[in-house]
Amino acid sequence: MRKCLGIIVLDFILVVAATAFEKDIRPILENTCLKCHGGEKVKGKVDFSGILNLEQAEEQLDLWEKVVDVLETGDMPPEDERQLTTGETRTILDWCHKELAKPIEAQPGIFQPRRLSAPEYRNTLRSLFGFDLKVSIATAEQTLSGEQSLVLKLLPIDPPGVSGFVNDTHGTKLSPILMDQYLHLSDAALEKLFSIKGRKQLSFLMGVQKSEAWKPYDITLEEANTLISNFISRALRRPIKAKMATQVSKSLERKIGEELLKAIKFEMKAILMSPAFLYRGLLMEGKPGIQQSVDSFELAERLSYFLWEDRPDDELTELASSGEISKPGIIAEQVSRMLLSPNSRSLAESFAVQWLGLANIDDMFKNDPGDRGHGMRTQPRDFLHYLFTEERPVMELIDSRVTFVNQSTSGFYGKDRQRLARFHKPQGVERQRTMNQRLELREAEGRGGILTMPSILIMNRGPILRGTWMLRRILGVELGEPPADVPPIKPSPRGQKLSFRERFAVHRENASCSRCHNKIDPLGFALDGYDNNGRYLLGEAQKKNLKTPIDTSGQLPGGETFEDFEELKAVFMTSQRENIVRNIVEQTLTYALCRELKRFDQSTVNTITKNLCRDNGTWKSLFTQIANSLPFRETFIQNAKHEESKLED
Amino acid sequence: MKSRNWRIDRRTFLRGAAGALVPLPFINLMEGSADNGIRNLAGDTQPPVRFMTLFKPNGVHPPSWNINGGMENDFRMSPLMKPFAKHKEDLIILDNMGDFGFSSHSNSTRRFLSGHHNNRKSASVDQIIADKISAGTTHRSLELTTEGLFTNQIDCSYISYDKKGGRIPRESDPQLVFDRLFRNPLRDPNQRRHISSLLDRVSNDAKALQRIAGAEDQATLDEYFTAVRETEKRLEKMAPVSGSKGVDFSSLVRPESGVNLNEQVEAMLDVIAMALWTDSTRCISYMLGNSNSRMIFDFLGIKKQHHYLSHFFRNFSRSNIDSLLKISLWHMEKFDYLLSKLKSYKDHHGRLLDHCVVLYGSGMGHSDNHTAQRIPIVLAGKGGGQLKTGRYLRYSQNQELSRLHLSLLRMFGVESDSFANSSSPLPGLGGGSFDEYRERPFTSWVKSEQGKMTVQGRLRMSDNLDEAKVFYMDIKDKPPVRIEIGFGDFHGFNVAYHVGTPITLSGNSSERNGQLVITRITEIKSVFGNSKPGKAGG
Repeated sequence: MRKCLGIIVLDFILVVAATAFEKDIRPILENTCLKCHGGEKVKGKVDFSGILNLEQAEEQLDLWEKVVDVLETGDMPPEDERQLTTGETRTILDWCHKELAKPIEAQPGIFQPRRLSAPEYRNTLRSLFGFDLKVSIATAEQTLSGEQSLVLKLLPIDPPGVSGFVNDTHGTKLSPILMDQYLHLSDAALEKLFSIKGRKQLSFLMGVQKSEAWKPYDITLEEANTLISNFISRALRRPIKAKMATQVSKSLERKIGEELLKAIKFEMKAILMSPAFLYRGLLMEGKPGIQQSVDSFELAERLSYFLWEDRPDDELTELASSGEISKPGIIAEQVSRMLLSPNSRSLAESFAVQWLGLANIDDMFKNDPGDRGHGMRTQPRDFLHYLFTEERPVMELIDSRVTFVNQSTSGFYGKDRQRLARFHKPQGVERQRTMNQRLELREAEGRGGILTMPSILIMNRGPILRGTWMLRRILGVELGEPPADVPPIKPSPRGQKLSFRERFAVHRENASCSRCHNKIDPLGFALDGYDNNGRYLLGEAQKKNLKTPIDTSGQLPGGETFEDFEELKAVFMTSQRENIVRNIVEQTLTYALCRELKRFDQSTVNTITKNLCRDNGTWKSLFTQIANSLPFRETFIQNAKHEESKLED
Repeated sequence: MKSRNWRIDRRTFLRGAAGALVPLPFINLMEGSADNGIRNLAGDTQPPVRFMTLFKPNGVHPPSWNINGGMENDFRMSPLMKPFAKHKEDLIILDNMGDFGFSSHSNSTRRFLSGHHNNRKSASVDQIIADKISAGTTHRSLELTTEGLFTNQIDCSYISYDKKGGRIPRESDPQLVFDRLFRNPLRDPNQRRHISSLLDRVSNDAKALQRIAGAEDQATLDEYFTAVRETEKRLEKMAPVSGSKGVDFSSLVRPESGVNLNEQVEAMLDVIAMALWTDSTRCISYMLGNSNSRMIFDFLGIKKQHHYLSHFFRNFSRSNIDSLLKISLWHMEKFDYLLSKLKSYKDHHGRLLDHCVVLYGSGMGHSDNHTAQRIPIVLAGKGGGQLKTGRYLRYSQNQELSRLHLSLLRMFGVESDSFANSSSPLPGLGGGSFDEYRERPFTSWVKSEQGKMTVQGRLRMSDNLDEAKVFYMDIKDKPPVRIEIGFGDFHGFNVAYHVGTPITLSGNSSERNGQLVITRITEIKSVFGNSKPGKAGG
């Protein structure tokens, strides 16, 4: 992969400073680094052995980013190995900074087909067949029914890809187990389609209304051909090719009754098992070796899988057929329309859940199928769905006067809860899960925005988890793994009674700890006014009950100080604003592209970040800008000839 | 053993010499050797006996369930038994099964197949039986249910437990169970052929794509082809397992997905009957619901939760009782559905039901105060001749379910000295004597002075559905004494526990229109049994 990437990067990087690398950098690497990184062994997957000249060096810019990081922090070389002189360190750092600073023009990623993720497969099957495949299970109050989608129950869970999102399926292979389950699910869907329960959708696909009394083996050859060509173009998300249509109709020829029905089912199943259905992008038309716009059906597909996690509907398909879809104005209109559809719920349920790690809330409450667990699980999702679909500014993620509560979670919101619609439990119902209501926050203390949402505070217990979560998920700071020799947090010295906070202050005196904890601790301790059950301890009424005062003050590594979480939030909304918006843009773009962002995506990120910061831009504007961005609309098809170079790896 | 040898000799002789003149009983015997019989040492075969249990959640409304009076061979089915009354000749209805005291929902669920709620370290009876009889079947056992997990009291969701007393996961989807049993390519050569030709086809189609694809596409397609090839290889390697009974599995109809609980349960019962008939498994447990289930039976037009309704004393209203009975009748209808299915299949020379033992029932009796006594328990099927059906067995003292379990274990050939709390099996199931368990005679009388009354006789609940809180004591040659008490006395003296048995009851009384009424209880003594049935545990 990296190799392929290098090949295009090469096209426009000027060959300068070649001598500098081979003359100045390579010898230092050989003397100092190569022993552990490519010589006797390859530690930490860092391998310098294949980097002999500038060309090869420039193929691995990410590696040099890492080099800068470990040299600046002094993590490398290890203490018991040969050390670099100050001059050598300087030389490498200067060279790296120069290389990394070279402006990179935005360019699209290499075209990569990818398998539909499990939820995408479920949704695609659902919209293709017009019904959901469900596990038969009776539902009852306070009962955990488990996964009710047959697709999600049977398919193995897709692990997140390199990008961190499960729609990046490039890394997970199509296993024979997956094949078995696809076979099974195709059977189940086709069987239902031809039963009475699928009659509505079957009629629709055949273009003829059929009653329940009608028997599928009475299908005529003409109806069969309509059915199959409708089915194929919908399944493959683009018009059926003439050659394929001929082939299919040939296989149905001269058949009637049961035999014809059997042939139809066979053809349909073959489509459901074909790579063109199971993968996205295999049918895109384009020329290898050049940068180009994706074809209009691919664009429609990209948009619908981004916002809906589903195949394009009829309107998108029509716009693709006419080519209209490639107009930026049309894209904006479609984004507006699509966000209003219930399908856009997938943005909250898939994108946001993965980005913010909300599945941890499900784990915390996995034994609570009742009202409280339900309220905890749904509150952040409903809130994010509201932000995404109701034209809210992206920064309302941090600060908002709206939240969503049910009977169990409303207790966190003081007097504001009195404005909720009264709930009446019907007679004879002992327990009932209640739905969330939208609540405007007026008097509730210490609430508003995702950071102080009860379920988020419960999911992240204690200052360290809370600080880390804010850094990684909100500010987009990657901390890396803690060093292997990390000392445990020391207990209080004899005769002294240090608080948790004070003990961490001691911990930070160690330089290798302070590297991360200087960033984590101030954020985390700022939330000490909230206990592990998500309750706010510093409200006017609650404060009186405190035995010892709670210190929520802190100083960010940049020097900014704050007294309490409200002040930290103000910092987030002002001086940290750009960092947060940038992270939001990066996360959303990553999800939209289904791949890890590369250096050449930075200028796209920069542009969108700048726009959103300037306009206090909304989520809808973010989605639209992404859908109209270069990496989303264009691609580069790798020349098949490069197969040989791949083999060299 | 001796007689069997004789029969074999005789059969061989008849086959050779008498041909078509073979009298009927011998024809049957020869049929038995044709397919899935268990071959004994002499080479003779018997159809395997299957074990099936069906669990009814949330106890019963005793006045509607209990049989009042009645003799072993001369009894009338109760109103709740109506739905399966037509199977009377294939049933043994057991009465006075249970334990002392009250029972939580989770304890009662555990009791159903484990005998006692403290029996937590051993397998439930169905699992021990499965170990014994499953040899040669493709599926050792099936553990089935209708709904999800009730996490508040997790044991409410399980009746089957493994060797260490661990909960065995259950499956609720009839189609998934059907596919596991009958659409497995390993078992079905037709299925295998179909998959093979499909894989051929998709590979060919995909090859056409390859020619126009770029480098990344090719990598993707390679991955796809690898998966296809591996699947093909696996198919080739699968040694065909001949379907027992020679049944062509593709002729079995896959159930449709149900739109409501009724359809879901009937589909599952269909699959269960097919599974037993094809001898795919010999042991199945199925829960019609979790105990404590708050399911809403909307398809019966009921909007209230089952658990709420089951507390019919506290939540009394005539319409609640009607709803509760509707739900209970539905549970009984499903038992009928199962029995009818099992009768409809021919198995060897009889009906499938003849070679089954079906255990139907619950783990608690009175559903409002959770009395662990008079638990509804019915056995169905002849168990290969080991059960003498068509009878009503009422034991004079309550019999722990573990005695029944021990009997079942012995019936299936498990050599076991004890199960849970019991070391002697329940007598009378095979038709043997259970005289010692018949109730001894007792006298009934009533003494009353200055608002106090002591009365001895058999306690019963009112038959009138408008009087869910009212009990009567029958006195010989006198009008019955009415007992009309609050929930405190009802629960405090565990009145429901004594229902159906002779007791001596003292309390405050009055006379209303010539009817003696007891309004507060001061003491209850059991004439024969345990006076203080206890409150906890059980």
